Amino acid sequence: MSKKLSALTMMLIVLFSSVFFLTSCKGKEEKPAEPIKFGGIWPLGDITGDQAAKAAQLVVDELNANGGLMGRPVELIVIDSELNPEKGAAAVERLATVEKVDFFVGGMSSGVHLGQIPALKKYKKVTMWTGAASSTAETAVGEGQDWYFHLHPWDYNQGNSYVEGWDDIAAKFSNISIDRWFLAYEEGPFGSASFAATQTLFSDMEIDGEAFQSAALGGGDYTAVLQRAKDYNPDVFIWAGYAADALPIMEQAKAVNFTPPLFIGAPPGWPSDFGDSALAENVTLYGMWAPSISKVSAVSKKFQDAYEAKYGETPATYFAPLGYTSIEIIAKAVEAAGSVETEAVIKALKAIQYESPLGETISFSPSNVISNQGFRNQKILQWQNGNQEVIWPFEFATAEPAYPFTR
Amino acid sequence: MNSTVQKNKTWPVIFGILGVIVMILPFFSGPYIQSIGRTVITYMILAISWDMLIRSGQLSFGLAGFFGLGSYAAVLSAVNLHFNPFISIVFAALVAGLIAFLVGAVVLRLRGMYFAITTLALGEIFRIIIHNWTSLTGGPNGKLLPKLAFDGASIPTYAMMVLFALIIIALSEYFKRSRIHYALTAIRDNEIVAKSSGINIYKYLLIAFTVTAAIQGAAGAGFAQLYGFVTPESSFNANYTLIPLAMTLLGGMYSTWGPVIGAVLLGVLGEFLKLYIPYGHLVVYGIIIILVLLFMPWGIVGMAGRLLKKGESHE
Amino acid sequence: MNKKKIYTIAGISAALILSVILLIIRPTILVYGIQRAGIYAAIALPMALVLGIVHIVNLAHGEMMMVAAYLSYFICTTFGIDPLVAAIPTGIIMFFLGLIIFKTSIAHTLEAPELNQLILTFGVAMVLSQSVNLIATSQPRKISLDYVSASATIGDVSFGIYDFIFPVLAALFLAVLIYFLKKTRLGKAASAVGQNPRGARIVGINVDLTYTIIFSLASMIIGVFGSFFITKFSIFPAVGGTFTMKSFALVAMAGIGNLPMVIGASLVLGLAESLVMSVPHGAGWSPMIFFGLIIIVILSRSFRSKQ
Repeated sequence: MSKKLSALTMMLIVLFSSVFFLTSCKGKEEKPAEPIKFGGIWPLGDITGDQAAKAAQLVVDELNANGGLMGRPVELIVIDSELNPEKGAAAVERLATVEKVDFFVGGMSSGVHLGQIPALKKYKKVTMWTGAASSTAETAVGEGQDWYFHLHPWDYNQGNSYVEGWDDIAAKFSNISIDRWFLAYEEGPFGSASFAATQTLFSDMEIDGEAFQSAALGGGDYTAVLQRAKDYNPDVFIWAGYAADALPIMEQAKAVNFTPPLFIGAPPGWPSDFGDSALAENVTLYGMWAPSISKVSAVSKKFQDAYEAKYGETPATYFAPLGYTSIEIIAKAVEAAGSVETEAVIKALKAIQYESPLGETISFSPSNVISNQGFRNQKILQWQNGNQEVIWPFEFATAEPAYPFTR
Repeated sequence: MNSTVQKNKTWPVIFGILGVIVMILPFFSGPYIQSIGRTVITYMILAISWDMLIRSGQLSFGLAGFFGLGSYAAVLSAVNLHFNPFISIVFAALVAGLIAFLVGAVVLRLRGMYFAITTLALGEIFRIIIHNWTSLTGGPNGKLLPKLAFDGASIPTYAMMVLFALIIIALSEYFKRSRIHYALTAIRDNEIVAKSSGINIYKYLLIAFTVTAAIQGAAGAGFAQLYGFVTPESSFNANYTLIPLAMTLLGGMYSTWGPVIGAVLLGVLGEFLKLYIPYGHLVVYGIIIILVLLFMPWGIVGMAGRLLKKGESHE
Repeated sequence: MNKKKIYTIAGISAALILSVILLIIRPTILVYGIQRAGIYAAIALPMALVLGIVHIVNLAHGEMMMVAAYLSYFICTTFGIDPLVAAIPTGIIMFFLGLIIFKTSIAHTLEAPELNQLILTFGVAMVLSQSVNLIATSQPRKISLDYVSASATIGDVSFGIYDFIFPVLAALFLAVLIYFLKKTRLGKAASAVGQNPRGARIVGINVDLTYTIIFSLASMIIGVFGSFFITKFSIFPAVGGTFTMKSFALVAMAGIGNLPMVIGASLVLGLAESLVMSVPHGAGWSPMIFFGLIIIVILSRSFRSKQ
């Protein structure tokens, strides 16, 4: 009996889904295009995408509280990319044709972005991307795409800024030596791109590296790579992996008694409890933003306070201020242009000087391939007393570097 | 409901027609539905190919492996040899089929779990080789396709996928009606009896394994032609193995229409849930898979068959 | 039975010879190899138990371990106790969670086509990992512990010694399981069920109850391991996924139903991986060892059994 019932249910689902097909393509066409619509695509199941989407919603709420944009209400429709290229591409199609958004924002993961680029190119709406560091994605976007704005630094931008940063630091603090490097990199695109970039950029120095399998992808044992690094005896040791690797690497480095003078971690985000560990002390890191930036940047402080007030948590990744930036920068351009027309907004965006919650003021200029690249710099920070303190660029510095790394 | 059952002996055909209608509907809607449709069809093709092999009792976990292999073959041949999209898809099918033939000659003597785990391991080995062979494959960063099939235009690409699906459906039906089917089901039911009755088990298994791997390779090539890129992570994703399995079991094994229905239902359901439950839709998706398997252990087509048998006496 | 013993001896002696060679070339390879093997064996043993007796491939194996790890994490942070102490309550909770999962879902599919359990447990895995994702977010967590960095120095070589807890744990699991299966009435019944469920039923063994107990027991072992897991690894909702496949591969390599051989298989894999990883720029190929060895072992066994 119950089996018949369930068969009936499945029949209904078949009918229901075909109805859904019909309604979703016919029903929403007549919707009035009154609000200014932003379409966001982030992986909502991941902390990066989750916080970016929340921060983006924060701007929308702020805009609406102040009477909207050009007197029109603002709306943000976020679709989960599920960290899946097909789903990410379908989300672009839906936002463009069903929701009829004016602007695309979003982005996290180069793999997903590669799948979305053909669809984005089809609509050529103003697109403000917060993720994708891989220069393969830049090649896929290609030249002459004026509508495409990329906030996140490309992999080579990041590499450049490290060279600049360490040259600055070594020049200012004569006791810090940076001649011999060892890079432990996770074997995926993120880590291997970091290694390739570092190798070319630091070609005048001694450099070696070894891949490891990140805990995020099923690994978690770093003893082999740490042993290799220890035998190499570098001045600077960098690991490029994910947040899940952070504390275990420190623990295992201690176990094999590996203490390089500079111990750098370069994951895209840190576990929120990393600072609680004694092993975090004096670990140097690369990052675009940290809560400590709010000490030196009023814009960052305003963003952080608003985010904490609304969601009751501290933003844990730099994707939160990037998500905020993606909407606010377009909103400012729309105001300046007095229009939501693509041409006018592009023109306004190209002229914009935007004080970002990440600290620096940005404007768009060409990078290796695309015309509009936003952020280029990473910051060099250091864990000191459980907080991420900025040590470079010196204009945002909240602390002096502690050197050498000891435990 | 009972009256319908009594009138129609061929429930699967009704469901099949329904499935085909659902495949044709997107032509009259927008690019979004077509984009979902392309994804559903990709999984549908994988599901059918998996079912074609499981009819012999051989459980393959190698779908993602051949899928990834096919997508790389398509992109690399298009980039280096300037094959046009369709030739590159055919080429990918040939590459996947050839490798399956060579590998199958050895691994097809395994049965059950051992065959399953070996196909899984093979898929992983393909991925590791492609991941590490940077000079040819671009390594972890993958490779881009300079030009998409039909420049990525929505309706022609969807039509291409529908055509692809129809070919595979026809192939699967042909398999079901030809002597290969009798050989394969004989192997599944009782291998020893099949062997003693003079069926060359090995030959038929090898044919089925090669053909299904070629289909999986072609599906991967289709994916690459639609999205214009390959990376080891996305092209060899375990989802390409697990989701088609779930679809087939939901729709019903040992038939062509089971995988078709399962793919349409789960594919559409996944997208539908996401729009209404942005947070936690995958929990609901998982619960639905559990419930369906608990209450419809033989899938929709199997359930229909059982209802039919209950409705009347034996055929 | 005799055959099994021969394989066991062959496997162990091969591992021993390899170990001696490694010890001479580079002692850390041996140390890390054994530590790796311990982790592999400890997580694969409960799967071997379930596969050998209940005859289901539990695709939610790794996810159950992940849930146990989170349980343990929250027990530790709430009550301020050490994960190794939390292993006891976690194990008990996981026993009942396993019981619930088995009774509400898996038990109902034992009569259905074999594959249904596979997809059913895939659904369970999805529900578990996505629920944890909703509750705890994808942010990785790790309890900071001093003793995990415990170090030993022999000559000029320093290495971590805490990780030796994993081989010890695996040996403990194996000893308990062997004792249970060989010496207790329930365990003997379970072995009978594993070898021939129909026959066992005819003899009057309550097969369904046996399945339930074995699955719950395996869940308990997974629970204990989960607590040890958080001492070394960060946890996040997707952390369990790869352990399902690794365990499955190890069990297939050891031969279904052969618990001691799981240790042998783990040792071979652990040492081989450790060896490859110590070769400069060899890390990218170390997963190849895992899958390559699995295929070789499975194939060679099938050839031998045909002869």
